[in-house]
Amino acid sequence: MDTVFGISYDGGGACICGLPVVVLATDQVNARSILMYQQNLDKIAQLSSHSAMGVSGPNCDLVNFSEYISKNLKLYELSNDGRKLSTHAQANFCRGELAKALRKGPFQVNVILGGYDDMNPRGGSLYVMDYLGSCTKAKYGAQGYASNFCLSIMDRDWGEGMDEDMAVKLVEKCIRELEMRFLINQKNFIIKVIDKGGMRTLKFGADPADN
Amino acid sequence: MSILEYNGAAIIGMAGKDCVGIASDNRLGIQYQTVAMDFKKIFKMNDRLFVGLAGLATDVQTLDQLLRFRMDLYELREEREMSPKVFTNLLSNMLYEKRFGPYFCEPIIAGLDGGGSPYLATMDLIGAQAHSRDFVVAGTCEGNLYGMCETLWRPDMDKEVLFETLAQALLASVDRDALSGWGGVVHIITREGVISRELKGRQD
Amino acid sequence: MFGPTLVIGNDILDIGTSKFDNERDQRAIGGGAMIPRFAFGEPGQFDVPNVADPAHFCRNNFASACGNSDANQTVKFAKGTTTLAFKFDGGIIVSVDSRSTMGAYIASGTVKKVIEINPFLLGTMAGGAADCSFWERNLGMQCRLYELRNKKRITVAAASRLLANTMSSYRGYGLSMGTMITGWDETGPQLYYVDDDGTRLHGRYFSVGSGSTYAYGVLDTYYRKDLTVDEAIDLGKRAIYHACHRDAMSGSINNLYHVTKDGWVKIHAIDVNDMHYEYLEDKKNAMASS
Repeated sequence: MDTVFGISYDGGGACICGLPVVVLATDQVNARSILMYQQNLDKIAQLSSHSAMGVSGPNCDLVNFSEYISKNLKLYELSNDGRKLSTHAQANFCRGELAKALRKGPFQVNVILGGYDDMNPRGGSLYVMDYLGSCTKAKYGAQGYASNFCLSIMDRDWGEGMDEDMAVKLVEKCIRELEMRFLINQKNFIIKVIDKGGMRTLKFGADPADN
Repeated sequence: MSILEYNGAAIIGMAGKDCVGIASDNRLGIQYQTVAMDFKKIFKMNDRLFVGLAGLATDVQTLDQLLRFRMDLYELREEREMSPKVFTNLLSNMLYEKRFGPYFCEPIIAGLDGGGSPYLATMDLIGAQAHSRDFVVAGTCEGNLYGMCETLWRPDMDKEVLFETLAQALLASVDRDALSGWGGVVHIITREGVISRELKGRQD
Repeated sequence: MFGPTLVIGNDILDIGTSKFDNERDQRAIGGGAMIPRFAFGEPGQFDVPNVADPAHFCRNNFASACGNSDANQTVKFAKGTTTLAFKFDGGIIVSVDSRSTMGAYIASGTVKKVIEINPFLLGTMAGGAADCSFWERNLGMQCRLYELRNKKRITVAAASRLLANTMSSYRGYGLSMGTMITGWDETGPQLYYVDDDGTRLHGRYFSVGSGSTYAYGVLDTYYRKDLTVDEAIDLGKRAIYHACHRDAMSGSINNLYHVTKDGWVKIHAIDVNDMHYEYLEDKKNAMASS
């Protein structure tokens, strides 16, 4: 039901020496059965100063999983003199926990995890994983029913050397497609960018803090 | 749809003269949706031993990590590399440990044994071993793979002919399977070293 | 002497007339036995299961409607397709893939999914191959009879209505068909969507099949009414390519037709795999120049 997008881009002023930067976007709906509870949810959970994940799934799993992951990563930082895990390691930790949970009542969450590694010449990277724990590095990805409509648009439009403006425009193209074709009404989306400076919220349809 | 077919895969192990090859496709799908075209299904255990894992992608990755861990531990303790035969028994036992909640993976083991001659083995998802002297296959288009390998395999192929045979068998098979393909990879293990090549496959 | 039902000769041209309808009603009242008839497109033409509710029986055992609803039936149908058609200022583009699958096995990569009903009418094929080709062939016959009777070509609206009527009369029997009927008639370019539960829609563009959502993604984003013919051909081609790339059940050859006031012409049959590398090259060049 939920929608998560992730796009990396490596052009424009924000990208230092062509290192990729990551955009994450999710819808803001919290719904169950036929009822919509809220439309200002923030489904992009910050994991560390330079990483976050867009999570889709039932609200209970979504919150439990993202808090479990983020708190464990924080614990790692505290017990290792502030040393952070690389995005790759974070994604693998996430995958491992999903795979572990799979055989004892799974977390029903599909994840797109993005981060920016300062120490590493790799810059930003993006990992797509499903609730089973299959994890793969990607340049762009979509989760949920939206993937059926939007992967083709991303295949069509994504390219090397895109800048932030183009990446956000691509996300918005995908959102427009969902407005047009997707049965479920997802009025609001939240878009965040993770680059050298950390994570920042670019825009949202409704303020998550407003409640 | 069976759990083993959820993500899609095609893997072949094939023996040549003093060399052995293993090949897989690149697709990661969620049923009929293709999610990635660069998914790794063959893992290097040591310079003379590769394992290919077909089946549920999450278990492919979990098993790879577990095997990597066991291999490293063995090498540290024993100060030598694990032989393909020992490895097959290790994996077989790891799989049977989960007899009542299995890893949904069918492995293919390809390597050179102590004498430098080809070693090929496969097993089902709970560790029943099967050995072969010519070729072993696993994945969502097993039937296609068997057909191609039966047709193309010849005894005593050298490394270049083995590569060509593996590549043709794999590509022809996945072109008739909806759940695998999108390019592939071939590794040829020889006494001198490993030759790895990417295959350009159909992208639909 | 033999009853009123065995009608050949002039009466065969009565499809769609009140005389025909009256006769059919009479037969329905009197008829229990299978009497040879020439009225295609209504239940009774085929042998049906000898049970109280044949439609119910078919639904449970052979039903193949869209989605995954045929998971547990005795007979499973092969499907998986991407087809699309759109109207624009230069006419109509019909673009389809050509893969036929039986489960995960690719049974064929050279299926003709555009059915040339007559020089001015095209139908597309998604769902059961047998259902589509039979009923669209049958539609062709009905259209020809209409032409002979009325000395003019049938409109696309009427042709699609004939097919929709057939589909609604077999509703619940497990036919599987998602089709677009397009053509050029006295009212200009026309495009209708007709499916197995009798839905008939008139629209500017449609896409049908397992890969349709991917095709819609591209189509919705790039469709304009004022596309040039070349742009339209490229859009039709691209939408099918992107669907084939992501959807495992679609692929192989892209067949593309262009319909104008002079009837349809087949524009191309291109391997989707060749398109992949062509578009990859285009993308590289575009990035290099920007």
